[in-house]
Amino acid sequence: MDIVEIRRLKKYFKEGPQVVKALDGINLSIEKGKFTVIAGASGSGKTTLLNTIAGLYEPDEGTVIVDGLNLSKMGEEQLTVFRRRKIGFVFQGYNLIPELTIRENIVFPLGLDDARPDAAYFPNLVHLLGLDNYLNAYPHMLSGGAQQCAAIARALITKPSIVLADEPTGSFDMKTAQNVAGLLKMTAATFHQTLVVITHNPELAQLADRVVRLQDGKIVQ
Amino acid sequence: MKNMLGVLAGRSFRAGRMRNLIAALAIMLTTILFTTVTTISMGAAESVTLTMQMLKGSRSDGDFHNMTAGQYEALADAAFIREYGLRMPVGFLTNAARHNIEFDVLDPVQADLTFCMPAHGSVPEAENEIVTSDAALRDLGVEPEVGAVVTIAFTAHGREYQLDMIVSGWFEATSEQISMMWAGTAFRDAHPDIFEYTYDQDWDMAGTYYSDFVAVSAIGLQEKLDHWVWQMGGDPDAASSGNLSAAVNAVTNPVLEPTELLLGAVIIALFVLCGYLLIYNVFDIAVMQEIRRYGLYRTVGMSRRQVKKLINLQALWLSCVGIPLGLLIGYFVGKTALPYMMRTLSSSYENVAVNVNPSPVIFVGAAVLAAFTVFLSTRKPIWAAANIPPIEAFRYAEAAAGGKTTKKSTAGTSLFRLAWSNLGRNKRRSAFIVASLSLCVILLNCIGIAADSVDIEKQVSYSIRTDFAVVNALSKNILEGFTRREHGLGQEVIDAVNAQPGVYGASAIYKNTLDDSNVTYDFPVEFDYTGTDEKTGIHYAGTNDGIIFNLGDDGHALCNVYGMEEAALARMDIQEGEADAHRLYERMAGGEGVLLGVPSDRRTSILKPAFDLLNVGDMITVFKNGEPVMELPILAKAALNGDDMEIGYTVNGTFEVGKDGLFLYLPTCVYTEIYDEPVIYKYSFDVEEGQQDSMSAFLEGYVTNVDPGMGYASAEEARRDAVTTRTMLWFVGGLTGMIFGAAGVLNLVNTIITSILARRHEFATMQSIGMTAKQLTRMMIWESVYYAIGVCIAGLLLSVILAFAVVKILIGGIWYFTFHFTLVPAVIVCILLLIAAAILPVIALKVFNKGSIVEKLRAAE
Repeated sequence: MDIVEIRRLKKYFKEGPQVVKALDGINLSIEKGKFTVIAGASGSGKTTLLNTIAGLYEPDEGTVIVDGLNLSKMGEEQLTVFRRRKIGFVFQGYNLIPELTIRENIVFPLGLDDARPDAAYFPNLVHLLGLDNYLNAYPHMLSGGAQQCAAIARALITKPSIVLADEPTGSFDMKTAQNVAGLLKMTAATFHQTLVVITHNPELAQLADRVVRLQDGKIVQ
Repeated sequence: MKNMLGVLAGRSFRAGRMRNLIAALAIMLTTILFTTVTTISMGAAESVTLTMQMLKGSRSDGDFHNMTAGQYEALADAAFIREYGLRMPVGFLTNAARHNIEFDVLDPVQADLTFCMPAHGSVPEAENEIVTSDAALRDLGVEPEVGAVVTIAFTAHGREYQLDMIVSGWFEATSEQISMMWAGTAFRDAHPDIFEYTYDQDWDMAGTYYSDFVAVSAIGLQEKLDHWVWQMGGDPDAASSGNLSAAVNAVTNPVLEPTELLLGAVIIALFVLCGYLLIYNVFDIAVMQEIRRYGLYRTVGMSRRQVKKLINLQALWLSCVGIPLGLLIGYFVGKTALPYMMRTLSSSYENVAVNVNPSPVIFVGAAVLAAFTVFLSTRKPIWAAANIPPIEAFRYAEAAAGGKTTKKSTAGTSLFRLAWSNLGRNKRRSAFIVASLSLCVILLNCIGIAADSVDIEKQVSYSIRTDFAVVNALSKNILEGFTRREHGLGQEVIDAVNAQPGVYGASAIYKNTLDDSNVTYDFPVEFDYTGTDEKTGIHYAGTNDGIIFNLGDDGHALCNVYGMEEAALARMDIQEGEADAHRLYERMAGGEGVLLGVPSDRRTSILKPAFDLLNVGDMITVFKNGEPVMELPILAKAALNGDDMEIGYTVNGTFEVGKDGLFLYLPTCVYTEIYDEPVIYKYSFDVEEGQQDSMSAFLEGYVTNVDPGMGYASAEEARRDAVTTRTMLWFVGGLTGMIFGAAGVLNLVNTIITSILARRHEFATMQSIGMTAKQLTRMMIWESVYYAIGVCIAGLLLSVILAFAVVKILIGGIWYFTFHFTLVPAVIVCILLLIAAAILPVIALKVFNKGSIVEKLRAAE
């Protein structure tokens, strides 16, 4: 069963007099519960594709259906709620909120929905990511790897249908990158979540169920 | 979990201390502005109202006249009245020497409402006790003292009374001419003969009831009064019923004209704009600094509404800090400034106790206005934060951090160019800072031009044509004026003045009064209607153009008629007919004619067409006791000023006597021939240089020690009053300009600090590749100075344009302005701004760019 269905997706950007075809007629289906890596050179359209799946970009043409919802038919507020409930985001730069503790950062998306974390799920998730001892610490007190784990926990706390990660290990050394990548895959698998990751890291790509390669806005593999 | 927004708002609020400090300061400054202005305005309005109420002799909401006992008792059931007093007039004392003393029965409520409560002693209880002023007691030959015995004489119902009364209390006189003496109701009960009601038979007021009252609400008060009068069997519309009537006190409850309301709205809008400029930029910068963070919030699922709520919450907290502080500081600034302002605004209010008490109106009004301004100012930044799509937020941060660095790193250019290119990072904000600071320059310069254009001598010459003029004190009261023979000057005053050294060009000026109704004038003007004044019973006639003439005993016009020496006539502004003043005077003295005065435009001295009813050569017939006694053709026409009509800006006396006209000027010899009992209302004279001060001192002493009923005006006094207009312009304009300036400087400071904080990494990078700290400082100074230069260019240019395009036109319509162009205020502000712009970055860099280059580079990573 596909959780993401993309048909004839086009997204163009204007840069001065030139039009850059970031995505040029993409057709892609991503199976639920699978780990998909999107690879490609810089400027191939990876991030644009990921952001479009997240509803951050509106397609110029084509349709994007995520978990049965046609994103192009949703308004701004609907997309916000969609992201909050269906999408988990992991950024290369963690993007934790410095004024909140790790616990508060993790549960932040739930708080926006006036919801409480699942009493069983939260400790399980935290334990799995090795954050038990850091819950009351502030982000700046943690290592980069631990901060990214917190970011992963935040992405998974709402039990999203799909987790999107843009270069989640890009700023780590090889060992940390492997650990983080492993944790990401493990947690997604544990909680049966679909994982879509952009990466240049071949080792992370090797862990994927499927690798989609982009070139000049088109899928080449 | 429900409190997540609150937690986040609280934590980020605490984290951004500097940002919050500046924002709270901006809100506080705005609130100080509102509170100070509200405090001063309310205090000034209260003081002026109190002065006017004292001049009028009542602080009530209105009063009832000519009531019967039954009608007075019915006041108890009038739902629109909160409190009312009792006044039963008896009459003026006949044994007073110069001070006019009205003797009435009052109750304490009435006494309180009419400024007659004793400051020393107590209210009268026994039938033979009275309260009056110190001036009245002295006039009756008694020193003000509780327990003193004073003899009073009066006439009621045709009977003369002489009684010995005991002073139970006294108060300081508020008027130099007239005082109230009052007894309590025990006096009325002991003398029923005096208070017998015969008003319906003989119009004797002794026995009638009067009452000043405080209304429950001033809204629709006149209608309520009219309705009550109808209910009591009276007719509020009757032209001259002479019976029951009721009127709103226009001093306590002035009717606001639409233009006044509009002016008030414009001033409030200007202050709100000023606060807006102050707060908007602070919040705009704060939001822009945090735009990446808001993008993150949006990406992880925060809705627009939640972003708005988050920032609104922080704005609310900042307001909770800034507004109360601003209210307190503003109140004390206003309270401190008010007495000074009242003193500088007009010498007329010197004796009024200026007192401002903490009023909920001041605090609530200023707080609401400040909160409204905060709300207004934060709308756009909040909207911007909430509406930037999450992905755009990230793009913004990347562009801001990356694009310019590349440009600069390849520049290899001078610091000036580097600084110049930095201004373009946020063109909108640069324009905003330049705009708000330019407003300060423009506003101050416009105010400077207006203040410089206040034509002091024009005002003085309108107000008084000689160095000094001695008049009855009533003529200096704009609510009273010279109307009766008893207001005339005695020869002893004139002799005393003439005995002083240096007096020259003197003239006694005679004027007719309401007591001279046997002398009237006929002239070729058609009356379209006639009527009778409701209050005075005087008949009048009018034209369809709205010009009204009071009529004398025989139905002809009473006119305002003056008699004067040649010296006085020579000072008048003759515009048509015989232009040679000497020849004109001679011809008039020979009975050949009369000089007609016509009210003129104060700005141009052109005769007002509405009042310019007759031509040179037209015949005026003088009637005495109904018989024509003289034919006087108009020999010349003069443009009138305030001094020609009465003195200063008092026109009430002339309006009471002759209404709109005519104004006829005769030589003394002719005037005294026409009128049986001619009285002098003014003695005008010049004084040689060097004797001015001694004459002022003499007149002041004379008024204080010899004749409190006399008053005097001087050119110097008029000059001082005129200067207050200039002072007021500087005060109000300067205050507003300074607030705009503070807004601009605060924005500049905020921009500099924000720029330093946001570019610490960039600075560190520059320094790591060889830029010295001195070069960095110079670059920042140039950035700041570029703003100042922009302001100077825009401010000076617009000041010149606005001076001629707006200020000249605006003040051209006001008679006491003569346009004078100046750029001095703008230049001064520009110089100050350039100095501030050069100093601020140095301080800001020292405070906010601390630490080693390596630390700053690492911090950014």
